[in-house]
Amino acid sequence: MADTEKNAEVKPAAKPEKEKKDILDEIDDGDLILQNERESVPLTPENAVFTRSAGGLISLSLKKEDGTTEEFERVVILRAFPVTNPDEFLSVREGDGRQNERGHEIGMVRRMSDFDEETGKLFLEELDRRYFTPIILKITGVKEKFGFSYWDAQTTAGNVTFILNNPFNNIRVLDDGRVYINDLDGNSFLIPDAKKLDPYSYRKIEVYL
Amino acid sequence: MKLLFDLPEADQKALDAVRPPEEKTMYCLPFNIYEDRFVDGYMVFTGRHIYKLLEGELLASYSLENACDFKTEVMYGSCGFYGKFDGATVLLCQFVSGRNLPRYSVMVKAMEILTEDKDVTPVTDRTVERFCPKCGRPYIKNSSICPYCMDKKEVYRKLFAMTKGLRLLMMVPFFVSLFGIVCGFIVPKIQAIAVDKYITATDGADKNGFLLIVLSIIVIDLIQRALGVFRNRCAAIAGGKFTLVLKNLLYEKIQSLSIASISRRSTGDLMGRVNNDTGTMQGFIIGQLPDLFYQVVAFIVALIVMLIMSPIMSLFVFVPIPLTIFLVSKLWKTVETRNRKSWVLNTRTGRLLQDILNGIRVVKCFGQEEREITRFKESSVRASCQDESNAKLFDTIFPLIGFAIRFGSYLILLYGNYKLFQGEMTVGALHQFNSYANIIYGPLLWVTFIPRNISNFLTSASKVFEILEEEPEVRDIGLPIDIRIEGDIHVKNVTFGYETYLPVLKNVTADIKQGEMIGIVGHSGSGKTTLINLIMRLYDPNEGEIVIDDVNIKDISQEALRSQIGVVLQETLLFSGTIRENICYAKPNATDEEVIEAAKTANAHDFIMSLPEGYNTLVGEKGYSLSGGERQRIAIARAVIHNPRILILDEATAALDTETEKLIQDALNKLAKNRTTLAIAHRLSTLRNADRLLVLDKGRLAEFGTHQELLDRKGIYYKLVMAQRKMAMAAKELDA
Repeated sequence: MADTEKNAEVKPAAKPEKEKKDILDEIDDGDLILQNERESVPLTPENAVFTRSAGGLISLSLKKEDGTTEEFERVVILRAFPVTNPDEFLSVREGDGRQNERGHEIGMVRRMSDFDEETGKLFLEELDRRYFTPIILKITGVKEKFGFSYWDAQTTAGNVTFILNNPFNNIRVLDDGRVYINDLDGNSFLIPDAKKLDPYSYRKIEVYL
Repeated sequence: MKLLFDLPEADQKALDAVRPPEEKTMYCLPFNIYEDRFVDGYMVFTGRHIYKLLEGELLASYSLENACDFKTEVMYGSCGFYGKFDGATVLLCQFVSGRNLPRYSVMVKAMEILTEDKDVTPVTDRTVERFCPKCGRPYIKNSSICPYCMDKKEVYRKLFAMTKGLRLLMMVPFFVSLFGIVCGFIVPKIQAIAVDKYITATDGADKNGFLLIVLSIIVIDLIQRALGVFRNRCAAIAGGKFTLVLKNLLYEKIQSLSIASISRRSTGDLMGRVNNDTGTMQGFIIGQLPDLFYQVVAFIVALIVMLIMSPIMSLFVFVPIPLTIFLVSKLWKTVETRNRKSWVLNTRTGRLLQDILNGIRVVKCFGQEEREITRFKESSVRASCQDESNAKLFDTIFPLIGFAIRFGSYLILLYGNYKLFQGEMTVGALHQFNSYANIIYGPLLWVTFIPRNISNFLTSASKVFEILEEEPEVRDIGLPIDIRIEGDIHVKNVTFGYETYLPVLKNVTADIKQGEMIGIVGHSGSGKTTLINLIMRLYDPNEGEIVIDDVNIKDISQEALRSQIGVVLQETLLFSGTIRENICYAKPNATDEEVIEAAKTANAHDFIMSLPEGYNTLVGEKGYSLSGGERQRIAIARAVIHNPRILILDEATAALDTETEKLIQDALNKLAKNRTTLAIAHRLSTLRNADRLLVLDKGRLAEFGTHQELLDRKGIYYKLVMAQRKMAMAAKELDA
């Protein structure tokens, strides 16, 4: 679709007035195309170089097919399968979307391991920050009050009290036994294997599994 | 919303050390994630710098000199606040979304104002908090009620005010309960006399006296039951009336609220308040409250009587009480969690079943019957296992509790018999005492439920009152004008956002002349529908004004305004009822002639006549199912019937096939004649008919002019048309 745009801009400049009048008659009626996206390309070590940006985030310099290079001051990296396949299919997107707009996709990284170790570290650093999911080590107390349940826990990110409004909905068990907890504030917590928790913690969470 | 938090002392010191004295703190917000750990840090915003502070240490400071592009990004499990400083994007801080995302979103706007407009007046924001500012606990869902901090007396007071006219009726259960208590104490006494004087009496007894006693027991019992019937009837009437009043009040209020406050809540939530919460209130006032009263009085009276009869034996009654209360409250939690779990599993099974039955075509098409059977089996087996284990546990627990409660009676029996043998107590007195002991246990079992019942009731009541007391946001001014609209619309410098800090429309100005047809074009999210919502005055603009025929729409009464605007939406909603009823929804007193006229204008007459019952055919959920195009044409007829001066078409022809679209387009063209028409559209055919096109881009008015003018301009619209043209040509080539 990037092509479409380019052609559209070149053609009319060459052909003046007359053609325009006929434009509408040539077209079968249809919806206007309201998207204006760039075409996503596979990103490999051959065409993409990721570096740490001046602001501590990730910059990308992308070699295009026509030999030119496009520089991105900052890119956002998202996982396509954050839960089931975190290290493959990473979507690299423009970082300069305005407030509440996701940037367009520049391309996808098939496997994180396609890139060298340095780049892998860079990816992981960004991804760990973006997918901030502390692991629950111990549940120290659960209190039910006014329709909410308050949980005290020790996690890899420190001690927390988190609030669930409906534990049966907020606690999600995957087929492989991992337990994800999403609290009222938007935090996510992970229990890799509930059965490996100490007996007290397990008793507290058991009923919801 | 709170945007200026108090800085801890240590942080304040660290800040004072680096901050020039003339810089004032404008905003101070918390952040809580730093280097993969939960922390309590603060971001301090002055007019010139942003300082990042954590535990008495200055982590970073950023100058606003060359700063731009502030934004928040929603990540997974947290959010980030970003900004661009000297061309380099920086993650300023990371925080948990729930409490702080709205605050930082405001900060984005505030920073924009600071850096671009150099305006140093702090912004304020009216967004409602989701957490209690006093105690930090979450509010009850979709409300601003903190169950911990709410003024309970206030709720009771309001409730009492609402019972006006029903009070006498509502007092009946209390009086009857009192009588019940009296009877409850008299009967054992009479029984005691019967035992002592007649049954165990060795000498020749007086038969008449005995008959009298039996008779009096029967009479008391009869009276008690008759009063019971009376009490329940009164309760039912009072309860029914109370709920009726409450429900109607609530429903009226909901209808009068603006779209803004209604769309803040889900339909389910509002329905819940009308149905369930009023029900909970009724149940409490009519059922639980008199019961509570009864139990408390009975307990106190029984206690006094027993103490008088035999202090030592009364003591025995209390021996098992602490144990029982402890057991009941402990076990009840388990019982409840387990019940809830089984309920969840059963609903899941039900939902699965519903899902599969709804999608049965998909299941069959893809040949997935086997898999779905297994899935359902797994789910239902889990649910039934849970039910079984619950039943096993409960069947063990309840007899045990029963035993614990009865334990006191055994002690009484033991001690009582000892007394009996010593001749210090009669059989009748023992029996009487035992009966009273049983009265005491009833209230005791209740104790554990009382707090929960009261808190449920208070929650429901405050949710209901919250709606009843809400001030409508869009409201008529003191003396609204009823004008006859001609159709000139002037949009003057309008800025609007559903959240004040996230403007959807930015400084839009457009003059629309009477009778013009305006096509509105733009990407999704560019503010097309919002603009129309503002013209219909479903919302009021934050800045600027909308003027129709030289009158600000705020001065026109909402009724007059809406009755002269006709709307056709992409999603057509037909209410359950006949076609005729649906067409004259906005004008219930329309004549048959008008209805047919409207249907003809909408090109709907012919297909309506082909239906078995013509205009009286039932449509909607239970009725005849119409195709999308047919429904659309009925919607058009509905818009046309009251001959609106302004017509609004919100993607009315998208999602239809070309043939139907032509019919509808034709109907719309007839409709648009001599009326000011605003049409959101993607179809070129619709746009071609428009006198002028209004192109919105990210909330700003990008282009405004005739089709030809915009093509000449080679702007956004031109690009869109060209892209469309290229697609069409490619399709043609493919066909060839």
